[in-house]
Amino acid sequence: MKNNYWLLILLLLIASGCYKILPSKGGGQTDSPTETRTVNPRDIALPEGYTAEAVATGLTFPTAVAFDEQGQLYVIEAGYSYGEVFLEPKLLRVENNGNLATVATGQKNGPWTGVTYHNGNFYVAEGGQMTGGKLLRISPAGNISTVIENLPTLGDYHTNGPVAGPDGKLYFGLGTATNSGVVGPDNYEYGWLKRHPQFHDIPCQDVTLTGQNYTSEIPLDTKSGKQTTGAYSAYGSATTQGQVIKGSIPCSGSVLKISPEGGKMELVAWGFRNPFGLAFSPGGTLYVSDNSFDDRGSRPVWGTGDYLWKIENGKWYGWPDFSGGIPFNGDRFSPPGNKAPQPLLAQHPDKPPKPAATLGVHSSSNGLDFSRSNSFGYQGEAFIAQFGDMAPGVGKVLSPVGYKVVRVNVENGVVTDFAANKGKKTAPASKLNTGGLERPVSVKFSPDGQSLYIVDFGIMETGKNGPEPKLKTGVIWKITKS
Amino acid sequence: MKKPFILSAAFLLLLSLSYCGSARRGAPTHPPLNIESQAVAQGEVVFMSHCNKCHPGGAAGLGPAINNKPLPGFLMKFQIRKGLGVMPAFKEDHISDRELDNLVAYLKELRSAKE
Repeated sequence: MKNNYWLLILLLLIASGCYKILPSKGGGQTDSPTETRTVNPRDIALPEGYTAEAVATGLTFPTAVAFDEQGQLYVIEAGYSYGEVFLEPKLLRVENNGNLATVATGQKNGPWTGVTYHNGNFYVAEGGQMTGGKLLRISPAGNISTVIENLPTLGDYHTNGPVAGPDGKLYFGLGTATNSGVVGPDNYEYGWLKRHPQFHDIPCQDVTLTGQNYTSEIPLDTKSGKQTTGAYSAYGSATTQGQVIKGSIPCSGSVLKISPEGGKMELVAWGFRNPFGLAFSPGGTLYVSDNSFDDRGSRPVWGTGDYLWKIENGKWYGWPDFSGGIPFNGDRFSPPGNKAPQPLLAQHPDKPPKPAATLGVHSSSNGLDFSRSNSFGYQGEAFIAQFGDMAPGVGKVLSPVGYKVVRVNVENGVVTDFAANKGKKTAPASKLNTGGLERPVSVKFSPDGQSLYIVDFGIMETGKNGPEPKLKTGVIWKITKS
Repeated sequence: MKKPFILSAAFLLLLSLSYCGSARRGAPTHPPLNIESQAVAQGEVVFMSHCNKCHPGGAAGLGPAINNKPLPGFLMKFQIRKGLGVMPAFKEDHISDRELDNLVAYLKELRSAKE
């Protein structure tokens, strides 16, 4: 009998060697591209007693909803999507019959990633792909004014949020320029490096580098041929051991706050990668969802989950040298067939905490909100929209990841699916040929707490040509407990 | 010589057949998991901290599905401690012996929760 077990172990070892040759099977990878979408709430699995309905369809890149003091529903369309699609972002009123009325139209500097209604105005986070990130104030009549601008989010990730805190300030997130601190070929493929060849990550305080440099070659007009690039530096700029990079605010991978009237920004926390979703718990604690590293670029990192963080004021959360509180000091995060990422910082600003919850690798866990009502259920739990993987561009997955809404017990980190497509496996509806969820990007409870709204970005395929988002395939779903 | 060959073939067949069944478990696609014992509940917390990111809900993701593999408990522990292929090893400083016992109890509960 003992020999049989050794045989099992041997077979497992043989089977384990297959990982490198297995193909990627991400949710956006399809052999049959589609431009249209069917919508059928019955294709969505929910816990017993809950029902889904579609309250708006035909949206183009919707990212978030908000309610005014009358409980009227509004939605923003991003105006930009990965795949380098630039459109005009919009704030739309969603009428009871599902019709959409334009309240305000922005400039082609998206994506508009989030919206909140606070003290009689809408506040929108404008990503900043063209001219830098902004926070915008939009009056109910549609007049747009700027709260803050020139935020350093011209790269991979954007200006996110905002959410109003118990202190009346607006809290917002700034994503990093790069995957893991080094500008390289992946940023060229994203598109922004051609527009902003000098752009790079900025630390929130002075950091000392280890001097790790990376060599790459891309057909950039201003810097062709082999280039050596270091951390927190423009493409083609090498760094040295002990070099100090000056910190400043605003900075990359941070959560900041500002008065709704504008003025000076204050640092809340930093060391994030893409702090996309921000929400205060019923007890008034800030939680942030963070998209973790990808297996791409000059410094690829493998196997890091997305995280939900409980925010401590002034804390550093680990980017670019930790994932989920674990340092890059061994082989744990090495991509298959590649060497492990080496630390970029000679001294770390802090010891990062453990995450409140660990979510699927490449799940793109984005917008979140807390249930505040016993009549809806799961009171005090965080609900998180998972946009779904963008494999193979972010790295390989063996099966689609995300494409659902999960709920998190923030006391013990247990993650449970709340809304997901029916079927043998998790996948976007377009891959399952059903009418369910495609790419949930944010969630929001109604002001009375009785309903959960899921903002579904729509179809985005991720084939050989990179991301290919489909216009007019976005949906707003409403979940209620019967 | 014949016996190992038959065992190997049977195991490979079992492995390939296991890919035919869905690895999804629990709500909302199936009835919620029945977590009654403290060991299973604590094992769920360990699973969420270390395993869920690559095997969401025990299904495939970055890594393969684990809900539909007929692995006995001691081999689960062996694989977790030693690592396998691209899966890293989780030593005692990541998962204590007690946590490992609880984790295996949860994995078995998860695997059996088909209906």
